[in-house]
Amino acid sequence: MTVHVGAGAIDIRGVDLSFPVRGGGTLPVLDRVDLAVPGGGIVALIGPNGCGKSTLLRVVAGLLRPDSGTVSLDGAPIDGPDPRVGLVFQEPRLLPWRSAADNITYPLELAGWSAERRRHRLAELTDLVALDERVVANRPAELSGGTRQRVALARALALQPEVLLLDEPFSALDALSRERFDLELLRLWERAATTIVLVTHSIAEAILVADRVVVLSARPGRVVADLPVALPRPRAIADLDAAVLTDTAREVRRHLGESTDSADSADSADGLESTT
Amino acid sequence: MTRSAVLSVVGAFVVFILFWQVVVIVSGFPPFILPAPGVVAMRLVRAWTDGTIQPHLATTLVEVALGFAVGAGLALIVGYALARSALVERLLSPYLVAAQATPILALAPLIALWFGPGLVGKVLICSLIVFFPMAVATMVGIRSVDARLLELGRSLRATRRQILTTLEIPAALPSILGGMRVGVTLAVVGAIVGEWAGAERGLGVLINLARGSLFDIPLMFATLLTIALVGIVLYLAVVLIERRLVGAR
Repeated sequence: MTVHVGAGAIDIRGVDLSFPVRGGGTLPVLDRVDLAVPGGGIVALIGPNGCGKSTLLRVVAGLLRPDSGTVSLDGAPIDGPDPRVGLVFQEPRLLPWRSAADNITYPLELAGWSAERRRHRLAELTDLVALDERVVANRPAELSGGTRQRVALARALALQPEVLLLDEPFSALDALSRERFDLELLRLWERAATTIVLVTHSIAEAILVADRVVVLSARPGRVVADLPVALPRPRAIADLDAAVLTDTAREVRRHLGESTDSADSADSADGLESTT
Repeated sequence: MTRSAVLSVVGAFVVFILFWQVVVIVSGFPPFILPAPGVVAMRLVRAWTDGTIQPHLATTLVEVALGFAVGAGLALIVGYALARSALVERLLSPYLVAAQATPILALAPLIALWFGPGLVGKVLICSLIVFFPMAVATMVGIRSVDARLLELGRSLRATRRQILTTLEIPAALPSILGGMRVGVTLAVVGAIVGEWAGAERGLGVLINLARGSLFDIPLMFATLLTIALVGIVLYLAVVLIERRLVGAR
């Protein structure tokens, strides 16, 4: 396993964000969020539905500007979409009129790479995310859900970002594929040397993948717990049965419970669904 | 097209011709009211071989091509503005709807009066009639672009121009091409209407001549068939372009 230090360190400080509401007023979504992710680290964000996990991810991606507070990457503030950050959405978001290959190289095209360089990088990327070279000639509609998300992952990695932000990337997949993708993500992380922030609904997924599990409260989202995962790397599915897992999961659940009971019990049931 | 599709198209055409022939026989209309299909077919062949049709056809085609290009071109720009700016929509839509609600037949004499019997008036009428459906199709198409794809583009630092060329246009293309199908056939209508209001040449003029001074009703039918053929060919051309551009999605 490679040790990643330095590049890709995220520092979120005192981030507040609220959305305007139809008919006036504002809805506070993030409440003084502080979070530091060291370069090359993997942090999972977990919390009830609507707690602002995805919003926080968009702030880090530079797609949303916080009302106050700062986000910086390796000491430089993020004030807009940044080439050092790759983003994978909950749904693959592929351009349906392009082949998978042209979807993967889309960021390179936008950045003005030549066709020759794009082709070269495409080969590296398909190898990195284990995509069959023959499959990438197909359009997204002809691919399975898992393959589409692989394509989206390759696209996010195209410009060699230092940070990979994943917004419930495997939530549409069945449980078995999901575990496989989680492990592949870890292998990819070892090769691509990126910092990873993973938003998830699944406690098991969070623990399997992350160094730390950060629990957000119900809206407005606030960090209520930051729990280290004491599992050695490289990790395997077998680790899921370890005692550490049980302890950490219990701890995460306790904080999730605290953060949601006070707000909205329906939300908490939702947040704890799919955790087994 | 598959074999059975070709057969059904040919079959429908044969049924139409037979029906026409039966009406002629049963009704006993004289040829200057309803000529038989055979008479019209022979007149059509003669009009083509003796060079009656060609100059008129050429004039009409130029009017259609220019009118469609101008009308569709403006409609793409205005349709985009309508989709992306609520202000533009509020300001322009009453005029657009009013222009569409006014029959082109009523406007044609006025346009002929202002621009004379030349090309400009016809192009203007064609553009007017093509404009509305194309502008609406463009507006609907651009509005239908998935906001999540636009967010993806933004996250990849796409410029406005890149968003337009790599996201908005490809996504709106099916709708725009649907508008074009309607637009090309209307452009033919516009050219004929414009020619009726005053012109020296064109298929519309030929219809007037055949009905009036020549009193050659089979020629009138032959001209009508030619106009219909022009419409069909243009429509099929758009369908082919559509297959090429969006068929494989």
